[in-house]
Amino acid sequence: MALSPEVYKAFEDVVGARNISQDPAVLECYRCYAAQSSAHYGPFDHKTPMPGAVIMPGSTEEVQGIIRLCNKYKIPFKAATTFWAAMGYIGDENAIQLDMRRMKKIEINERDQYAVVEPYAIGAVVQVEAMKRGFNLNMAGVGCSSSTLAGTAGWVAFGPSSLFMGTASENMLAAEWVLPNGEILHTGSLGAGSGWFCGEGPGPSTRAILRGKQGTTGAFGVCTRVAVRLHPWPGPAVIPTYGTIPAYRAKLPETIKTVTVCYPSWDAYAEGANLLHQSDIVYLGHRQFNMFGRDIKTAMIKILNDPDLQLCDLPEIMADPYIKEQNEKMKIEVSLVIVGMTQRDFDYKMKALDEIIRRVGAWKSEFMLEKPIHDWTLLYLLRLGHKNLNYTLCGSYEGNFGMSPNVFVTAPLMESAAKLKDDYAKKYPYIADTGGDSDMGSLAILGGGGVTGWEFFTCFDRFDKASIKGACDMVNISQKWMDDHKLGVDMGHWNANARREDGFNYTQEQHNEMLSKLPQPWVCGYQYLVKKAFNPYDLGGSYYRTCDPASFAKK
Amino acid sequence: MGIKTDLANLIGAEKVSDDAKTLALYAKDKSFAKPMTPECVVRVSSGEDVEKLVKWANETKTPLVPVSSGAPHFRGDTVPSVPQAVIVDLSGMKKILNINKQQRIAVIEPGVTYGELSKALAKHGMMISTSLAPKATKSVVGSVLECEPRLNCNHQWAYTEPLRCTEVTWGDGNRMYTGEAGLAPMDLEAQWKEQKWQVEPVGPMMLDYYRLLTQAEGTMGIVSWASVRCELAYQAHKMFLVPAAKEEDLLDFVYRVVHFRFGEELFILNNAQLASLVGETAEEIAALKAELPQWVACVSVGGRDLLPQDRAEQQEADISDIAQQCGLKLQNAVTGVSAAKVLEKATNPCGKTYWKDTFKGSFQDIFFLTTLDKTAEFVAKMEKLAIEAGYTVNDIGVYVQPVHMGSAYHCEFTIPYNPENAKETAKVKALFEKASAEFSAMGAFYARPYGPWARLQLNKDAMGTQTLKTLKGIFDPNNIMNPGKVTI
Repeated sequence: MALSPEVYKAFEDVVGARNISQDPAVLECYRCYAAQSSAHYGPFDHKTPMPGAVIMPGSTEEVQGIIRLCNKYKIPFKAATTFWAAMGYIGDENAIQLDMRRMKKIEINERDQYAVVEPYAIGAVVQVEAMKRGFNLNMAGVGCSSSTLAGTAGWVAFGPSSLFMGTASENMLAAEWVLPNGEILHTGSLGAGSGWFCGEGPGPSTRAILRGKQGTTGAFGVCTRVAVRLHPWPGPAVIPTYGTIPAYRAKLPETIKTVTVCYPSWDAYAEGANLLHQSDIVYLGHRQFNMFGRDIKTAMIKILNDPDLQLCDLPEIMADPYIKEQNEKMKIEVSLVIVGMTQRDFDYKMKALDEIIRRVGAWKSEFMLEKPIHDWTLLYLLRLGHKNLNYTLCGSYEGNFGMSPNVFVTAPLMESAAKLKDDYAKKYPYIADTGGDSDMGSLAILGGGGVTGWEFFTCFDRFDKASIKGACDMVNISQKWMDDHKLGVDMGHWNANARREDGFNYTQEQHNEMLSKLPQPWVCGYQYLVKKAFNPYDLGGSYYRTCDPASFAKK
Repeated sequence: MGIKTDLANLIGAEKVSDDAKTLALYAKDKSFAKPMTPECVVRVSSGEDVEKLVKWANETKTPLVPVSSGAPHFRGDTVPSVPQAVIVDLSGMKKILNINKQQRIAVIEPGVTYGELSKALAKHGMMISTSLAPKATKSVVGSVLECEPRLNCNHQWAYTEPLRCTEVTWGDGNRMYTGEAGLAPMDLEAQWKEQKWQVEPVGPMMLDYYRLLTQAEGTMGIVSWASVRCELAYQAHKMFLVPAAKEEDLLDFVYRVVHFRFGEELFILNNAQLASLVGETAEEIAALKAELPQWVACVSVGGRDLLPQDRAEQQEADISDIAQQCGLKLQNAVTGVSAAKVLEKATNPCGKTYWKDTFKGSFQDIFFLTTLDKTAEFVAKMEKLAIEAGYTVNDIGVYVQPVHMGSAYHCEFTIPYNPENAKETAKVKALFEKASAEFSAMGAFYARPYGPWARLQLNKDAMGTQTLKTLKGIFDPNNIMNPGKVTI
């Protein structure tokens, strides 16, 4: 059922006729393949519900106007920006989808080292503006084509540079937020009119209700502006590039270098990661290219660096003895970017890196130091602009395992996880068989380290039902393996309690049933009370996990 | 039954006091907060004690005032604002529950002081970044919950660093773990067995519970343990002093050092504050103040496990270059004071007498967050107001500390006075109130809104204040947690 003419007109009065639509052709574009995890593209072959209308607000006042109307007419709503995954899409029929693309301003405060961004300022543009002024930002792993605000205010959003630059929650300063009841909250120093420099206080921080660990993914009102901490970039104002599409390369000073460190074992990897966490020398650290799979990553890098090569050349390149040897040498590896703020700083950092390599018996990949590949890798990692490559093998992928927190627990299990996936891929040819270990992820997902980010890529064809089922099965198998090893929720199930398999929101009763079984159910119990207070008509959807305390108090 | 009997039955008679002498210790502090005698004092020894106490307080509508640090207290937050309050004294909870070097995390109870934690960490080759020369009795948990500024802003990825996970009993009597510890059963031993070391502070899901506890003055709940982020100990560590005639002369230097993440500890002191920090007696402080440069930036370099000397030398050379570009110079000493002594004083708990008390016997601080470029305006305003009040401008200490990697700056004025001198005390009280209000009007952000700053700050933002009240109503529905604080 579409919006009634009266309600439609009310929304139209807020944003103007050009910025609202209920044309079925338009609405269909705002549906997403529902996912088991919703973290990526889903293994399920059906879509999120059709919105009642799509609205594109142009200002905070317009957002407030829309949300007030949603409260008046009890219409669920959800805002999204760059629509990376199902979490940005509505979960009720006839809900309003806010598309924030008209709000894309960026203001940079150089002295206090932050950028104030609107929702549709994407990472690439924020980075370009920041670099002109000697800064960079923590580019979330989702890549530079995604919204900086969405990652900072609405999702976990760690990235390769989080070790040096901190993660989204650490970089979030003051914010302007239209709460789900339509009131506008300014957090920290902004509320008092003192500026954007602090996101906390006065007193207990009200921002506590806005993002938490997982982010509220658009289910708790709309963040319209946020200040994001910037970090030093001693390189040129614009990254000079050379090469032929798609193998663009960065031409940067000698004090900005990428090194791929290879380890003889996972124990050595864990020890090396720990030393890197403690060392303050790493600008960016990521196990990136293993996402293609351990058996083929070197060959894939070769293909991606040569415009004349294609995927069909893979077998031939893999057979090349040099590639074979190099691939074998970098089975267990992490790519680092070392950035010297000065020549002295660079010299110290490289010397310290050599010392770490010596201590754990690691080595630098010669292949990755070849000049063209080095420069390509540098651009890849600094920009995170190659997210299309995530889909190269089969057109879709799901992240799984995601066994993150303690590298000393997870690294020794990596071979077991890899074998699980390898065995499955070999037995059931529904997912890409690339050597089991397709783990990638950030060296740290917390400023200063201590926590790592892992993610196995399970690549599949989302237009092939058998492949879809295969990916689903793999995610379920790996969840069991995670349970057996007490590693928590598999990444493929991160959002399984946020959206039903049919693409719709969970009901409160369903959430009560699921979440009352948590070891500490008050975690979701207080979220229920907060939702009742600020979102009385429950208009945000079930990504905001809540559990009525009455449901577990009884047990 | 009376309150004392109730509590004796609940927690244990040996933990409950209501003798006049004990109550007097909690009835006032060294701030200008109005004295108020509590009903009794309970010295809790566990999270279970706290939970029982808070549940009882909800049933009886009894106000609770948590206290973690030992005396003296300076900010009025531990003085009851309402009659018949029960003091929840956590200072006896002194267990260091765990130290994990791999993750650089310590789990500690609220009574553990900086001195005690530092000593334990040293055995593991670790350390914790402190606030500026904390008092000897300062609780580490209290300090991090209050978000006292750290000396090393470069390792402060989050404003709330080094606070990580906690065990909290909320005002409604529910006890839970926050951060990553909140996803597993409430059993630290079991979590450690699975190598979960309480590292991640956020969440664990949609709410950042720990942020509701920071800067809260005990108005939301009571923390019975917290995990804190530590660092590897320095193998090489050296401080330098950078003198300047005007504070403005130091700003570019500080901006650049912070921008490149060079150095370890970094802060600015004026001559009065530096003299107070290093002087052992009032006479020595007076003499030093007369000799010291008007302003000094204190910056240290250090190396930890990895090529420590190389690291320290590189940092020294790079910071020295920046100083030179700013027309300044790194020095090992300024008139009468060595950089080594400043480092030693700044990074260690002070002696029995708190260092700000040495000069005149007492003091009043005014502190807030701002940006570095605005600090000079606040300094000028303070000088003007002191002159108008007839207070000796040269006695006022100033401390400027970058926080959260330099996103914001803690700006602190210290006004010493003789508490035995009623006239001087009244003058300082008037100056404190006037300056607090004037600074607020200039845009000072009282993120930690002690005493009258709550009214000044919360009145500026109706929606923020209303949101805070709503949250208080959820977590402390009977308003038993330190009522009268952080409110208007």
